[in-house]
Amino acid sequence: MTRAILEASAVTKSYAIGSRSIPVLRGVDLSIGEGEVVALLGASGAGKSTLLHVLGLLDPPSSGRVLFEGRPVHDLPIRERASLRHRQIGFVFQFYHLIPELNALENVKLGTMMDRGLLSWMKDRRELDERARDLLRTVGLTERHTHRPSELSGGERQRVAIARALIARPKVILADEPTGNLDSETAAGVLDLLFRINREEGVAFLMVTHDERLAERCDRLIRMKDGVVVS
Amino acid sequence: MYRYFLALRYLLARPINLLGVVGIMLGVWALIVVVSIFSGFLKEVARHLQSSTADMTAINLPEGVPFDEIRAIVEADPNVAACSPRIVWQGLVHPFGDQVGRAAPPAGMSELGAATPFVSVLGIDPDLERGVTRFRDWLDVLDDPTLRVADLDAPLAMRDGLPGLVLSRQRMAEDGVVAGDRAKLTVGRMRREGGREELDFRPLACTVAGAYETSYAGFDGMNVFVHIDTMRGFLDGDARSESANEVAIRLHDTAEAANTAARLQRALAEGVAGRGASWIRVRTWAEANAGRIGNVEHQRSLMKLVLFVIMVVAAFLMYATLSMMVTEKTHDIGILTAMGASPRGVMAVFTGCGVAIAVVGAGLGVAFGCLSSIYLDSLNKFLTANFGIDLFPVRIYHLRHVPYDLDPVWISQVAGSALVVGALVAAIPAWRAARYDPLDSLRNE
Ligand SMILES: Nc1ncnc2c1ncn2[C@@H]1O[C@H](COP(=O)(O)OP(=O)(O)OP(=O)(O)O)[C@@H](O)[C@H]1O
Ligand SMILES: [Mg+2]
Repeated sequence: MTRAILEASAVTKSYAIGSRSIPVLRGVDLSIGEGEVVALLGASGAGKSTLLHVLGLLDPPSSGRVLFEGRPVHDLPIRERASLRHRQIGFVFQFYHLIPELNALENVKLGTMMDRGLLSWMKDRRELDERARDLLRTVGLTERHTHRPSELSGGERQRVAIARALIARPKVILADEPTGNLDSETAAGVLDLLFRINREEGVAFLMVTHDERLAERCDRLIRMKDGVVVS
Repeated sequence: MYRYFLALRYLLARPINLLGVVGIMLGVWALIVVVSIFSGFLKEVARHLQSSTADMTAINLPEGVPFDEIRAIVEADPNVAACSPRIVWQGLVHPFGDQVGRAAPPAGMSELGAATPFVSVLGIDPDLERGVTRFRDWLDVLDDPTLRVADLDAPLAMRDGLPGLVLSRQRMAEDGVVAGDRAKLTVGRMRREGGREELDFRPLACTVAGAYETSYAGFDGMNVFVHIDTMRGFLDGDARSESANEVAIRLHDTAEAANTAARLQRALAEGVAGRGASWIRVRTWAEANAGRIGNVEHQRSLMKLVLFVIMVVAAFLMYATLSMMVTEKTHDIGILTAMGASPRGVMAVFTGCGVAIAVVGAGLGVAFGCLSSIYLDSLNKFLTANFGIDLFPVRIYHLRHVPYDLDPVWISQVAGSALVVGALVAAIPAWRAARYDPLDSLRNE
């Protein structure tokens, strides 16, 4: 296996509901190698989304460690975690989560603004604009760059979201049911795109899915049940 | 960079935010226009007061101290340019033959004007007075021969065997008095007789020499002039008595007035020690008129307070619209966090919205405020000419134009507080946004 970029070791997570503590993750160990496409399967409520949030530094684990390129990350100060999320990790969600006020191109470009000051962004704006347009073409959106999310179809929106996740050149993309909201034909198109991006850019994917056939196409398959990895 | 970008786009996508802009703008506008008019008015009033008052006066000079002695003390001060003796007394002026004068002022007349027969009688030495106030100019403003003083160099000289009396133009006009008419001045004085004090009124027949007019109607209504020797003869029984109860002073440097007043107060206290020195009060023109200026200043402060309420209302509007926006935007907060925004960054986005509203509102308010202050006079003239609406009647304010005084300090204070209010008001919903759990919106809807 190639060098691991994202690892979880003995990660647990419980939520407190009133005075009761509900365990959602009960000791998860996993590792994603560079450029690897991993499918994460499991019944609803198994803790897949929770695991993704913990791995993506959006939610701290109750115990255990998350390592990014071998470095424990949840003890980092909040700013460094934010910057790590921005530079190294991309997110794609079932419901796209595009900003409704911005058009497709602007939604993608927003990804270039997160850690730049006004001046440095203005200086590079042509280059950044060009890169955003390139990415939109890469994900197959050749026109409709100036359409708002509400004027795009579900598949188109997900392509914009993928372009946005890619623009900061992350090493790994965490995708939570990226095709969960799409019909099978559109879903197949989006998946082809993800595999192509993986081949061309070498980005690793951890993809939550309920679709066994889709999971077959991935490099590796992880199954979860009741907060633990079962295979 | 995303902070500015998103703040701007969020704002532009919601026209309702114009409410906040308009509110702040109105508040800033009103605070600038109204206060600038009050300040302008204050400045004009102060200017007119100053022009009708000596730079400084020492009042309550004790009886029996010859004026030359006072003069020597006063003129020894390096900041004193000139001084002039006065006898200032209360009196009643009425046309000849009418023994008691009018009982009450006719209705509808300004109390500043000639309505009341009660006056301050200023006994002055015209030659010395000229060096201290613009007394000669006050006489020289009228062309009407029935009102004009014939001899400007000796306006208060005896005429037809009677002492000369100079009245304000307004009083002469309203009483129908012309130069050469006779008038009677009744003054009272305390007399000690056998250990008993008695108020003793004595009438004095005068000839009206003519009229004077200062630029401050409030002064004109209350003052008449006679020669100081007339008062001396009248009160002391000796026209050459050299007495004076007041000394009017002109200064080289009026900016130094307060220090000079303190110095003179000490010098006079020493100079006439033991002869009633403790009654002497030295007052600058500003102190002498403190009541009138303070009145307008007080009104200005009240207006500031009242108008600030507009700002408070604007702040509430802003708070409501921004609060709505944050609630609507909880969806975006999750994805922004996933993309690498820190809570502080999220807060900055929404605070930025508020600051932008405040900046635009304050900017427009300052611009419109300054423009309206400058052009209000033209607008008022236009309204008066075309619609008969006079926002600033001469009758009430004694000014022929709408005054204004744009004070950069006040303008920056208003604009600055609008910005601070805007930022504070925006910070509350923004803080709520920053504390919002990003996972709430990322978990499936
Ligand atoms: N904030 C929370 N508070 C309490 N319980 C939570 C919270 N978030 C998740 N859970 C619980 O954790 C469990 C796992 O949730 P999670 O969303 O990770 O499941 P999932 O595997 O992604 O399911 P699905 O396939 O339906 O998306 C669920 O039982 C859920 O009720
Ligand atoms: Mg899930």
